[in-house]
Amino acid sequence: MPNKNGSVYGLTILSPIIDDEKATPSHDLQIRNYLAHLSTREQSPFAVAPGTHLARLVVMDDVIYVGMPACEEHLKSKYLVFESNLDGDLDDYLNGLAESMPELLDAIWQHCVGYPGAANRRAFVEYMKACQLDTTFFFAAVNDKSVPQTLRALQTQAAVADFIASHQGADPDSLQQEFIQFAAYLRAQPLPRPGSMGPPRDIKTGGRNE
Amino acid sequence: MSKLNETDIQGFVLRGYNLPVARYLFLHFEDAVRACKLIGRLLGEITTGQRWDGAKPQSTVNIAFTHRGLQRLELPDATLLSFPVEFQQGMRHRSEILGDAGVNAPERWDEVWRGDRVHAWLGINGLNAEALEARCAAILAILQQAAGASLLASQEASSVFIDGTATTKEHFGYTDGFGNPDYLGVDRNSQPGQGKLMPDGTWAPLATGELLLGYADEAGELPVAPVPHLFASNGTFMVYRKLHQNLATFRSYLEQQSTLYGGGKEKLAAKFIGRWRDGTPIELSPDGPDSAIAQDPKRSTNFTYGADAEGTRCPMGAHIRRVHPRDAFGFNGRLINRRRITRRGLPYGRFASEGEPVYDSDERGVIFMALNASISRQFEFVQQQWIQYGNDARLGNDKDMLLGNHGGHGRFMVQGDTSRTNPPFICSDLPDFVELRGGEYFFLPSITALGMIALGLVDPR
Repeated sequence: MPNKNGSVYGLTILSPIIDDEKATPSHDLQIRNYLAHLSTREQSPFAVAPGTHLARLVVMDDVIYVGMPACEEHLKSKYLVFESNLDGDLDDYLNGLAESMPELLDAIWQHCVGYPGAANRRAFVEYMKACQLDTTFFFAAVNDKSVPQTLRALQTQAAVADFIASHQGADPDSLQQEFIQFAAYLRAQPLPRPGSMGPPRDIKTGGRNE
Repeated sequence: MSKLNETDIQGFVLRGYNLPVARYLFLHFEDAVRACKLIGRLLGEITTGQRWDGAKPQSTVNIAFTHRGLQRLELPDATLLSFPVEFQQGMRHRSEILGDAGVNAPERWDEVWRGDRVHAWLGINGLNAEALEARCAAILAILQQAAGASLLASQEASSVFIDGTATTKEHFGYTDGFGNPDYLGVDRNSQPGQGKLMPDGTWAPLATGELLLGYADEAGELPVAPVPHLFASNGTFMVYRKLHQNLATFRSYLEQQSTLYGGGKEKLAAKFIGRWRDGTPIELSPDGPDSAIAQDPKRSTNFTYGADAEGTRCPMGAHIRRVHPRDAFGFNGRLINRRRITRRGLPYGRFASEGEPVYDSDERGVIFMALNASISRQFEFVQQQWIQYGNDARLGNDKDMLLGNHGGHGRFMVQGDTSRTNPPFICSDLPDFVELRGGEYFFLPSITALGMIALGLVDPR
């Protein structure tokens, strides 16, 4: 199964963007504009839709000619690239996306050639799969755990580290007692929301800042 | 590659002078014509990289410019605009990228760094106080005579003297100033552990272009540099940061944490840094300091972390492991070869021995000066990713224990094993041990480039 690494599925979709010289701004710029304003972290649409470890949407205009000795080549079209590390079965995942964020999918993919809309579920899944590339080798930034397992692990790690830090040097009896209470408390905690586990960083990084 | 032309490179770039006292003068240029004349007058004073061959001078002088300073010297726009963006912007404008927020925010810096008035840095080092005074007086006389610049401020710095002898200690009590990288063509007494790690486990010098403009770097490319080539070549960039040390906070935090830590106070202090206070690498001597190692140039910087992947000897977050990870990221250390910096600098303020009462408000710290060919790729990357973040060290959002901007919420994990004297331990609620009091990005030109400035010969065409 070339698109799978353990239980994680590596999805790559390339959808050709409509080339219409009468459209202003052009369809690719309209996608760029929409993507630039997408929410991140807990408000990210991919935090709302189930089963996404991480996802990336990017507009690929062309391959850039960098001068000799490279040979000059071009793509036939501009493409919307969608990459995702996901849990489980591809059909279920695509159905889950169409169910939880149909407006968002339509707002982005309406600029792509032949997109049928998320409301027609079967046509949507078929369209996405028709645009899929076999990845064969992909960067899986997660170990072989599902999204809920990963969130639970992060929650446990942070809570246990806090517990240790606040109980160093405690006497064994009270330590045991408090640990039993702590373990019960931790078990009763709800699963953290996807995208919520990294504290916000007070530093500018990446892209246009560097 | 051929030998570098040492007489064309400022000595400060090629070697740490090992002169124990210094004064840094910050100049403001009044007008271009007189300032260029002044640079012409100073040209003969500048210490080059030429070897001393036994006859160490009494004092040295070096010079560097901010981008605003070069603007004031009326260099051609095509030259000014060809400098890397971070140098054009200056350190204050990079504060969000560097994590210089909270107590380190520019609004809280010393007055001289809050405006845009600093145009040049003159670094004067002396063998002793008299030699320094004499040289400073001579330089100030030249300044006065040329009338091209005013003196905005000066900064004293000095090695810590113990019983009348200059040491390499800093105020927290650690022996400092071990590994600076070796570079191809730079002639100095090198020692294993100071260049780049080779697949066979030996160490080789880094490409010259990691330090000097005009030479190939580790990627085989020329570093981004201003035009013309002749103006940039043999020059480098300098990061100047005045780092205040909260000694009272450091001492009380170490004292308080060591009552909980099974390994004892000195071991915890060693875990913070990765070296015992005498400089012995904890990686080589996990149970105690060993002066035979600390003082042996063949051993004091000659170690790797490959056999200590869990950090049970040297913690993953220990200062020296963060800022120079050696092979800690795998791939024989190749991921760090473009992130190395050369450090110069000295402590400032009065040294207080253990037991002497101290206050955070006492004026003491270290003048940190880093030299690199690319401030954004080298210094800024280290500061942002390895000091103010922990992901590369597999430490999530944790910051560098010592230099991180913690605001009372930081955490430092001491990995351990099952022995009683090396237990795992968490230091939490980290305060800010070090605060930034100001600084700037400077261009340190070659002797040729200084001559071009002085004579108005900088021509980008």
